[in-house]
Amino acid sequence: MNAVMTIARKEIRDAVSSTWLIAYAVLFTLLALGLSYLGQRNLGSVGFENFSRTTASLLNLCLLLAPLAALTLGSGAIAGDRERGTLTYLLSQPLDRWEVLAGKYLGLAASIALATTLGFGVAGVVIALQTSAMDVGTYVLFLALVIALIVVMTGIGLALSAVSKTRAQALGLAMLVWFVVAFAFDLILIGMVSATSMHGGGLLAALLLNPIEIVRVLAIIQLEPDLQILGPFGSYLMERVGRANATVILSAALLMWMALPVTIASWLFESREA
Amino acid sequence: MESRFAVSVQHLGKSYGSVRVLDDITFDVRHGSCVALLGGNGAGKTTTLKCLLGVVPFEGAVEVEGVPTRTRGKDARRNIGYVPQIPAFGEQDTCAAALSFIAELRRVGKERVGWALETANLSAQSAMKVGELSGGMRQRLALAAAALSDPPVLLLDEPASSLDSHSRRDLHEMIGRLRGEGKTIILSTHVLDSLEHLADQVLVLDRGRLAFAGSVGELSARVRGNRFVVNLNGNSPGDFMSALLVAGIPAERVTPAALPWEEMLLAASEPDPAAREERA
Repeated sequence: MNAVMTIARKEIRDAVSSTWLIAYAVLFTLLALGLSYLGQRNLGSVGFENFSRTTASLLNLCLLLAPLAALTLGSGAIAGDRERGTLTYLLSQPLDRWEVLAGKYLGLAASIALATTLGFGVAGVVIALQTSAMDVGTYVLFLALVIALIVVMTGIGLALSAVSKTRAQALGLAMLVWFVVAFAFDLILIGMVSATSMHGGGLLAALLLNPIEIVRVLAIIQLEPDLQILGPFGSYLMERVGRANATVILSAALLMWMALPVTIASWLFESREA
Repeated sequence: MESRFAVSVQHLGKSYGSVRVLDDITFDVRHGSCVALLGGNGAGKTTTLKCLLGVVPFEGAVEVEGVPTRTRGKDARRNIGYVPQIPAFGEQDTCAAALSFIAELRRVGKERVGWALETANLSAQSAMKVGELSGGMRQRLALAAAALSDPPVLLLDEPASSLDSHSRRDLHEMIGRLRGEGKTIILSTHVLDSLEHLADQVLVLDRGRLAFAGSVGELSARVRGNRFVVNLNGNSPGDFMSALLVAGIPAERVTPAALPWEEMLLAASEPDPAAREERA
């Protein structure tokens, strides 16, 4: 594990010394503050919203941005090193391939999670000072769910990176995956439902195929289990198994998504040329 | 128990898809010797080194200090220090940080970082970023990183190919010092400059096959009287001719105009014993 942690620390150091981590943290902070402020304006008075409303406002935005950051950065990890010629050098050290992959995975996921936490942390402190409502627990829970999604998407990015010869190819695949899971998934599913009369178990299975959808439904169930905003999959799940069971099923699926992509990435990395 | 050879390669073969890049390569390297792997672009030099490192799948058998790289790659790599053709450090890392990272991976004490900087004559550049180093300094840093854990075998992939003659001389001096400490060195190169001072043995690769194995003197005797088309790999024809003379392989440029600018036709001639004695 020493080598894994050494590589992970190096990834974090590289991220801190580059500009992307700071830019990402600043972007998140500004979006969190901006959404809170503008949300209150739309309700008729100017000022900051409380944590719950801010969290709900941020949900959809985070479900777009966090996967994008994790997928693109994850996709560059192996393919970028391969393109620069640094991968062979790293593999020339007395290491197993899984140690290299695990170190990069941990380091990247920790870096993106750190930037996200920094951004949300700063925004949280500002909002807490401006409002009387202190629903910090909800805010922290939401942050934890976003970090779980980051871990999943970093793993998927790494798997894409492991099969790509160039960074551009990996980035292209990452953008395609992001477009499908963030935008096209619902449309594809609606089309499938229309074409095949899918319902019940099929809908639930489809929900579990998309980690973004899992986190979205899980977050709404925890924040405000409103059937209107849960969407058809979430509504079906809540009505069929109830809130507690839905939470267990979705959490288990999320854990599976955290383990599966990086396992596949490791297998692909082992079987590919340096 | 010490193995008979530092490096043993038996019937090494390697294909990328349908392209055969190495075919039935067999050679042994004695402990403490220096072997030059000579060949043009695409001859298979880098692939051979990657097979020795065990970082790509291959056919045949490779042992480094008696450890098979195919089945025990991690253990074999403990015995190997590697210098890639292009130094692979982060541009933003300082020299000390770059070496510390390798020291951590190889589980050697931080005191070796100071030793490595001193060996590379880079103590004064310890806090300088790698991106600010000259090409020669980077290669010396890479060589120091390769020697950091005191491995018995060093694999150097065209370490001097992009260096000017002054930096090349410095690097060769450093390689010579490490060889003097008993390291077994395999270096790939297409530059013959100073090779006879370093290499006990020359292996010439031609399109993935071992075309020659012997000493620099034997190579010189073999090529005498023959004509060759030489790929200059960006070197000037004048530099290449000088390098041949320095290596004790006098040759005459025959028909440069009939060939592309990066190639020239050479006719190897009898070596001049007086010139060799003068250099010695």
